[in-house]
Parts: sequence; structure tokens; C-alpha cells
Amino acid sequence: MVQLSLPKNSEIKKGKYFKDKTGSKNLRKVNIYRWDPSTDEGPRIDTYEVDMDNCPSKVLDILNKIKNEIDSTITYRRSCAHGVCGSCAMNMGGKNGLACTTPHAEIDGDIDIYPLPHLKVKKDLIGDLDGLYKQYQSIEPWLKNNSTKETTEIYQSKEDRAKLDGAYECIMCACCSTSCPSYWWNGDKYLGPAVLLQAYRWIIDSRDEERKARLKKVADELKLYRCHTILNCTNACPKGLNPAKAIAEIKKMLATANV
Amino acid sequence: MKNRPLSPHIQIYKWHISSLVSISHRITGIINFFAITLICIWFAFMLLGESEYQTIKIFLESFLGKFILIGITWSFSFQMLSEIRHLIMDLGYGFELQTTKITGLLVIFGSIFLTIVVYIFGRGVI
Repeated sequence: MVQLSLPKNSEIKKGKYFKDKTGSKNLRKVNIYRWDPSTDEGPRIDTYEVDMDNCPSKVLDILNKIKNEIDSTITYRRSCAHGVCGSCAMNMGGKNGLACTTPHAEIDGDIDIYPLPHLKVKKDLIGDLDGLYKQYQSIEPWLKNNSTKETTEIYQSKEDRAKLDGAYECIMCACCSTSCPSYWWNGDKYLGPAVLLQAYRWIIDSRDEERKARLKKVADELKLYRCHTILNCTNACPKGLNPAKAIAEIKKMLATANV
Repeated sequence: MKNRPLSPHIQIYKWHISSLVSISHRITGIINFFAITLICIWFAFMLLGESEYQTIKIFLESFLGKFILIGITWSFSFQMLSEIRHLIMDLGYGFELQTTKITGLLVIFGSIFLTIVVYIFGRGVI
């Protein structure tokens, strides 16, 4: 059943307020979701006043500034800072994205930062993605080719290779899956856009010999057809990919092929 | 493991045209379910004869009745246009972000336009 409200232990309270100490005139309020597993308290929103005159352009820069200069206890994942690793995926200004590639100038008013939606929170801005990784594993995301020897090169035409464009670039940051209302409410069964895009990537790979078996595997009322083309996924993707279209293509293949 | 909280979802996620059209598609679907029931009742009264038909006629000509009828016209229009959008998407077209925005807006404004057209023709204005 669809649960619209948050469970009791997830209700968010107002937290601390960190007033600006630099005396800057160019301030912005940043509201950050906090939850500390070492205390018994529920989640809260802490507000920070940040001096924007001395802050680079991206949301991740704000977080780094807060962690370095204001409150070292905030916790978030980040690594490459160039939109390649997908670690700093979070919800900023109501939209999922990578903190390192999202300019804070694009967010109006106060900057609200939450973890990726509808995940069990591990700490502050870190959500638990284990379920998604298990689903990713379940589609067996590797090349299956039994007819050629391991040492032989498998040729692929330029046209066949081009089919993988828009699918192989995915960095598995989970921005799309956690933006999807269908995934929020059926995430235990529905594979979600990120995993389905990868399933598509292996289904259309001309070198893969298990196309039919792969199609059969995702052809399931809950695994695939919970996609109702809400298109939050395509709107959220920080790499400009189109998971919704990939899902539609899988549906089309299933409707036309004899699986 | 500690009792981990669930991060907020629908409470914080920003709406955009496609998600609005999608949720409205569901809502109008439910409205249409009841609308068809109402239409059946209307027909049943018609079969019962003139005096019974007057009862529902008075109701439908009241402010509430008119509101319901115009509402139903809009909800049918919306559902129809949105369904056409879904059919095109099922064929694999119209997934580019810009296109989804345009088709979404077409559904929203098209449904209002269709409602007005039906009203104008139904009332015999033209």
C-alpha cells in the first residue's frame, strides 16, 4: 500500500541554527537533513548561514565549506567532485542530482539538502543503497558469450556499438531510481530506472548471447511494468541519460518479440 | 541494526509537468469511474419516464450539477489526451525532456480547450 506520510521515527524536527560569524553581507541559508545513529533522537534540519562571497559555484562546495569552517560533524559521501563517481548524489532544492555538478545558483531561496528520497538513512545525507545494488546484481550485468573463447576478440559493428550510447555512461549514482514514485512504493520488487537501464544495456549488446533469457527475466508485472512514465528519472539524471526511454524500449521488445 | 529513519520523499520532491500529468491521469481515471456511474443513473431515470427524469434534470441544472458536468467533461478530455500521450510513448517516441514538457502542456491546455469546445457546441452557442 502506498504510504504518503513518513513513519513515526522519521518525522523531521527543527534542529540547530548556525549564525554567520564572518560578517559577510552575501549570506544564504542552507537547510541540511541530519540524523545521528549514535543518539536516540529523530532526524532534524540544521540551518547554516553561509558566506557566499567565499564559496565556489557548486552545492558540494557549500557542503565542504560547512564541514571545514562551520560544523565538522556533517556527514556526506563525495569522491571525484567531477560528476564521474556518483558518490555525492543527494536531493537538492527538491530535485535529485550530484552535489558536485549542481550549481547552487540554480536553486531559488534557501538551499534545502536531503539524502536521496525514500531510503533508510545511515547518517545525515547518506542513504542505504544495498537494495539497489542487490537488484543490480540480479540482472547479471556482465557479458555472456559462450560460443567464443575467452581469448578471442568479439567484433562489433559501429552501428551496434552506437546502440550502447546513452546506456553505458550510467554511473549508478541512484539519482533516477530514488526520484521514482513507483520505486518509492514498490522498491522491493520493481527494479527501478537505474537497474532497468543497465538491463537494457545488456539486452541490446550485439555481443551478448543471452538476450532472450535477459528479456524473459525482466518481463514481470512488478519488475518492469511498474514504470508509469512519470519521467522523474529522466528529469533527475545528472548525466543526461534517458532511463524512461530505455524502459519503453524493453516494453516494446517484449511486445514484439516472441519471448 | 538501529531503527533507521526513512528519508523524506513525496514531501520534498519537486513537481514538474510530466509528474503532474501522470498523477492527474490517475485522478481523472478515478473520477471517470464515478462519472460513468452517474451517466448510467441519468439514463436509468430517462427510462423511468418524464416525471422521474425531471428530478435528475433539476439536479443537473443546479449549480452543483453544472459543476459536476463541466468537471466530467474536463476529466474525460484530460484522460483522453493523456492516454494518447501514453500511447505515443508506448511506441517509443516523445521521451526527450523538451518533448515531454511540450506534450504535457498540450494535455493540460488541450483538456481545458476541449471542455470549452464541448460546452460551446453542447449549448448551441455556435
